[in-house]
Amino acid sequence: MKTLFSRRNVLMSAAGVVVVGGVAFEASRVLRKRYAPSPYDDLLAKLDDRDGSAQIGEAVLAEIDDFDAKTAAAQLRTKLQQASLADIATADAAAERLVEAHGWVLPQTLGLLCALAAKAAA
Amino acid sequence: MSAFIDARTVPDGTVLEPDLAIVGGGPAGISIALALANTPLRVVLLESGDMSFDPATQALYSGNKTGVKYLGLEASRMRFLGGSTNIWGGWSRPMDKIDFEERSWMPHSGWPFGLEALQPHYARAQTLCEAGPWLYEQAEHWSQSEMPTVPLGAGGVATRWFQFSKMRGSLLPTHFGERYADDLKKVRNLTTYLHANVTRLGLAFNGGQIERLDVATLSGRHFALKPKAVILAAGAVEIARLLLASNDVAPAGVGNANDVVGRYFADHPIPRDIGTLILFDGKLAPYYLNTQTTHGAILRAGLFPSEGYRRSKAMLDSSITIESKTLLDALGKTTVATTAAALGVDAGKATAFTLGGGCEVTPDPDCRITLDSARDALGMPRVKLQMKLSDSDLAHFRATLKELGRQLLAARAGMIRLNMKERGQWLTGLDWGNHHMGTARAHVDPKKGVVDANLQVHGVANLFVAGSAVYPTYGAVNPTLSIVAMALRLADHVKGLLK
Ligand SMILES: Cc1cc2nc3c(=O)[nH]c(=O)nc-3n(C[C@H](O)[C@H](O)[C@H](O)COP(=O)(O)OP(=O)(O)OC[C@H]3O[C@@H](n4cnc5c(N)ncnc54)[C@H](O)[C@@H]3O)c2cc1C
Repeated sequence: MKTLFSRRNVLMSAAGVVVVGGVAFEASRVLRKRYAPSPYDDLLAKLDDRDGSAQIGEAVLAEIDDFDAKTAAAQLRTKLQQASLADIATADAAAERLVEAHGWVLPQTLGLLCALAAKAAA
Repeated sequence: MSAFIDARTVPDGTVLEPDLAIVGGGPAGISIALALANTPLRVVLLESGDMSFDPATQALYSGNKTGVKYLGLEASRMRFLGGSTNIWGGWSRPMDKIDFEERSWMPHSGWPFGLEALQPHYARAQTLCEAGPWLYEQAEHWSQSEMPTVPLGAGGVATRWFQFSKMRGSLLPTHFGERYADDLKKVRNLTTYLHANVTRLGLAFNGGQIERLDVATLSGRHFALKPKAVILAAGAVEIARLLLASNDVAPAGVGNANDVVGRYFADHPIPRDIGTLILFDGKLAPYYLNTQTTHGAILRAGLFPSEGYRRSKAMLDSSITIESKTLLDALGKTTVATTAAALGVDAGKATAFTLGGGCEVTPDPDCRITLDSARDALGMPRVKLQMKLSDSDLAHFRATLKELGRQLLAARAGMIRLNMKERGQWLTGLDWGNHHMGTARAHVDPKKGVVDANLQVHGVANLFVAGSAVYPTYGAVNPTLSIVAMALRLADHVKGLLK
């Protein structure tokens, strides 16, 4: 009786999966949105959704009069070398370091990262 | 059991001489009348309305308004036995200690007595309001496993509880007139007159006491009382009207030598959709959104600034309620996802809720009731209300909402969007609590208040005021439970005085 899955079929389909997987991996690399290099790419890599963050950042920038991107980036780098974004964001909230974006109350570090995303996208 | 007397049947020119006349049969007046049951005092309760709504009587309440958009003066109170509890919501909570204190950040603050003056009376007030067992403080310590609350980091806002009035065998909440009519009829030393409108407080020529009350009915009857003492319990707007309109002996009105009567009127602003609350895990206990019967009471959880926070941050009081689920726009979804990711939490089940609530306002002497030139069907001048709402009071409310947002982030549990910033946003769809306060404020100094610590009108030995008219500051909780507690305290005082 012919088995449904011959060894050859199984190998073929396994190869197929690898191939399909490989294509998908390549495609995500190819399709992943490319951004013009910015001085903050190392920081922006911490953000989940750079476009969305840039949108939030526009609103943050509207609330901050004298945003100095370079200084903010330098300070964020120092902080983020010492602890994770999650810990820093939580500590921001605990220490009342907050910013607003369209009324959303955000941890300051996240708000500033978003502001840098907005600057990078500008 | 004695039936109520219909004042329209009282012969013209009758003069009654009770020990005490209570003007107004709302929760304040009814509570005092019941508290004085079986004392040697002969008490008369004068109620303008009947047992149910009557448009002609209700029209006596209409008046003019200027300033910030406010409720109709006819619609925001009820003129028949039970007063405004005929349409109230039954939300109940005691006041906090800080509400009575002089606070450097709040002009005109400071009551002539503290919370301790009301504490002995709250239990009975809670019973009269039929708000169930006293659980307010105990509820704050219920375990998370039994009654889970919104997770909040350390800070100024915490879950606290409202209790609700419930009339047995009927719909909630307790309508004081309907609920206590039979009890009032059983009180041997009490006579209740319906359709009895007090139209004038007759000051003695020396101005030192009330020697006569004029009563009129819409059918044209007139009679009078010569009581030993009078308690005005007609609601804050009507009390100001009676004091101001009784100006035949004292031209500025009774108790108004210092031009304080009618001033400092206040209500609790109830702006809608003030914020959007996100809970990352989507879990919210049902008693935040609706009332729930538990522990023998009807309860609802709210989010309140703590006394410590109000003190340390110089904040006004407020109460925040979670209203209903809502949807987010694209930017809102992005913001929630980005924030949750930054905090390292999953927001796959994140749920958004609209927030409502009410806030304390700063006493303002120019927010006031005055007399209009127009007159009502009984010939009494109608009232004019100049209503105000300050930006800084709204800013306090916003700051407390922001504090709530901060605590949600600190707990990695959620976040908040503040929906209000500009004045126009706050005023759009602004509602009010229907909590009329001020107008005959309590203060030790007659220059700053109409009544003293015993709620006696300064300089008028036998005239007292019950109800939230005497509030010098307003807190943010619904007033009736405290009105009743204060009325019971006043009943004790008057009992001692007249015995
Ligand atoms: C829609 C609405 C919802 C509310 N919800 C709540 C709530 O959820 N929780 C809460 O704590 N509070 C609530 N309130 C407020 C509450 O109803 C009042 O705080 C309370 O009724 C005040 O009691 P009172 O006895 O001082 O005055 P009132 O209830 O106003 O009673 C005054 C009485 O005096 C009578 N009267 C008036 N003038 C005269 C006169 N010249 N002569 C003789 N009698 C007179 C009136 O007919 C009335 O019966 C609400 C009010 C409204 C309108």
